Amino acid sequence: MSQFILPPEPLTNEAIAERLTNTAIKQLDRGLIKKRNLVYLELNGCSGNIISLLNGQNPDFEYALNSMVDLRYSNSLMAAEGEQAIAKLMEVMNDDFILAVEGAVALKNNGLYNIIGSRQGKPLTGLEAARMLGDKAESILAVGACATHGGVSAARPNPSESMGLQTVLPEKKMIKLPGCPVHPDWFLGTLAHMLLYGEPETDNLGRPLMFYSTLIHDRCPRRPFFDRGIFAEKLGDKTCLFKLGCRGPVTRIDCPTRQWNGHVNWPIRDDTPCIGCAQFGFPDAMAPFISYDTTRVVKDE
Amino acid sequence: MSKRIVINPLTRISGFMEIDVTVENNQVVEAKTKGNLFRGFEQMLIGRSPFDSVYFTQRICGICSAAHSMASSLALEDALKIEPMEQGKYLRDIIHCCEFLQNHIRHFYQYTVPDFVKIEQNSLFQADHDDFRLPTEINDRISKHYFESLTISRLGHQMLAVLGGKAPHNHGVFIGGITTQATAEKVVHLDSILQKISAFIDEKMIPDVYDIARYYQEYYQLGSGYGNLLSYGSFNSYKELGTLYVDPLVLTGEGMQAFDESKILEKIDYSYFTSTEQTYSPGEVVPEPDMDKKNAYSWVKAPRYNGLPFEVGPLARLILSGNYDNDISAMDRTIARALETKKIAEIMKLLLQQIIPGVDVQKKYELPESASGRGLVDTTRGALGHWLKIKDKKISFYQIITPSTWDFSTRDDNGYRGTAEQALIGTPIQNPDKPAEIGRILRSFDPCMSCATHVYTPGKQVKTIKVF
Repeated sequence: MSQFILPPEPLTNEAIAERLTNTAIKQLDRGLIKKRNLVYLELNGCSGNIISLLNGQNPDFEYALNSMVDLRYSNSLMAAEGEQAIAKLMEVMNDDFILAVEGAVALKNNGLYNIIGSRQGKPLTGLEAARMLGDKAESILAVGACATHGGVSAARPNPSESMGLQTVLPEKKMIKLPGCPVHPDWFLGTLAHMLLYGEPETDNLGRPLMFYSTLIHDRCPRRPFFDRGIFAEKLGDKTCLFKLGCRGPVTRIDCPTRQWNGHVNWPIRDDTPCIGCAQFGFPDAMAPFISYDTTRVVKDE
Repeated sequence: MSKRIVINPLTRISGFMEIDVTVENNQVVEAKTKGNLFRGFEQMLIGRSPFDSVYFTQRICGICSAAHSMASSLALEDALKIEPMEQGKYLRDIIHCCEFLQNHIRHFYQYTVPDFVKIEQNSLFQADHDDFRLPTEINDRISKHYFESLTISRLGHQMLAVLGGKAPHNHGVFIGGITTQATAEKVVHLDSILQKISAFIDEKMIPDVYDIARYYQEYYQLGSGYGNLLSYGSFNSYKELGTLYVDPLVLTGEGMQAFDESKILEKIDYSYFTSTEQTYSPGEVVPEPDMDKKNAYSWVKAPRYNGLPFEVGPLARLILSGNYDNDISAMDRTIARALETKKIAEIMKLLLQQIIPGVDVQKKYELPESASGRGLVDTTRGALGHWLKIKDKKISFYQIITPSTWDFSTRDDNGYRGTAEQALIGTPIQNPDKPAEIGRILRSFDPCMSCATHVYTPGKQVKTIKVF
């Protein structure tokens, strides 16, 4: 039997609770990352960005939940519903939090085209929520094309009068992550940077340079075909898709090197033109996505 | 003593839904389901290039985007009179299988499980009712599977991207079937992932759903609804393989009949839309948004087949294809989703065996000056229809009726409620302050409100500015 002599420790409930708390705090301190609160708002859109986020790998969504953030609100994932869910959303405003928003803000009818919940018996519109939470948030991430500039939700003739998040929060600094949807790495990588080193360096339009700095065209594996004037005539061809309407030459993003869904493929490798979904102005400025006669004379555009 | 329960938002669905029920003597006597967002895709598509609709309509929904690329490419094939090669159909349907797999697995674990299982790993899963009955051991096992399922559904999307470029919002599904060619490497990549997913379905998902069912027996009696079932057909009419799953069929009290497209009409009596007609054929009229409409309460329209509301989705398909012989209820619906996941994995395995590498199914397509087409296909959540017209080589008309529009329609002028509304009627509510039953029944339908949608402001008249 070994003999250890330990200093006496108080065994009151309070003392034990305090010891546990201190241990937990110490463990967190030893960790790499200090967890922050995250509110994930889905507004007028398709909820494709949260699904894309679930597709993340290293960091994956589980790691994000366990080690990066306390996800305090998510319409797609939280167990609570109705008023209790909205109550949780309101509670967060007493703490420090990062706000991530996907989807556009619908302005029509004072925001009533997009109701995200009910508060004290009144509809809570996406517009109200965006203003209220945007005002209080420490940092804001506009996630995906609809949040960064209106995206498909704001496509002509924009029946719901959808706008990007900046429109309703003109004074607020926000990081913009265009894309339809956002690639999970762009979102989680930006988040990781914020947690480890503060906000990442962005261009003049608020996009993190680590992802959005280089044109697709400049890193495209089919660039040699472009340089030699060898162009695809239909989808499925293995040469440059420029004449089918590829938006690689105007889209700054790292798809050619990063690729999608565990880095297995991306649109151009799938023998289709890039449709510029990660560029401001998508979709209208990028239409038509596919054309077989790009050298035509256009009369009415 | 009547009590009104409003749940808004109904979380863990795609999009925004409010549910408004009246309870008397602890039983639901009236129910309204209300979709809560409107973007107006049908108006947005007008004037665009018809080719763009395949990628554009996917943005309707982030969880079932490939479904819209299916319906849209079928509608274009119909309009351009293109008969895709069998290899193109196989490859496109393999993409569709991947969509089913990731979608059903996500729906069961991320959307349904938290209703029945106490997941204690994270405060995000803190429920607001206390009707958790699973023994600790089972509860903890399914909780663990919740997190495992994230990897599995991610793999489902990875398979989709192998052929489709990326997911959500793939580029691979197109006129003619698929944009790219199969290679041996892609086929084994898919087969290898499919084995992992199949093992998860057999060893975890199906046992989990039956375990939940065992402890929540009364849900076999709840959420039945009208009992009319409809499918447009799925994985059917292959030249050599015949039908692998389900043909276009309907089932009512009068028995099973072949589906007849001309019997679909859409109604807007209680929806926020106006048109010259309150009842119209989907290929002819697209109504305009109007929030001032009297008696209207939702953005979801009311499609009817032969004048009746129908249920669409996995349970409808399993029963119509003779693969399920139990009843129609909330629990049956949830079980059917898991069983269908297994079925789809088997179909995908079979389709993969048919693939010939290197077949290029793409051509250079010419747009007609004017044409019309429709694409009807059964997808994850049920019957999906796209109707389009082309004029001067541009889209001049586009109509979409999504599966959730069938399941979550408003009532109509004949007094029929929507399918899910009816499913709630008569439900006993144990604790009106913490009603777990309503969410469970509604989620059994797997609502996707990103496609359809309401405004309800008691005592306040909302003034609308005309959009057009």
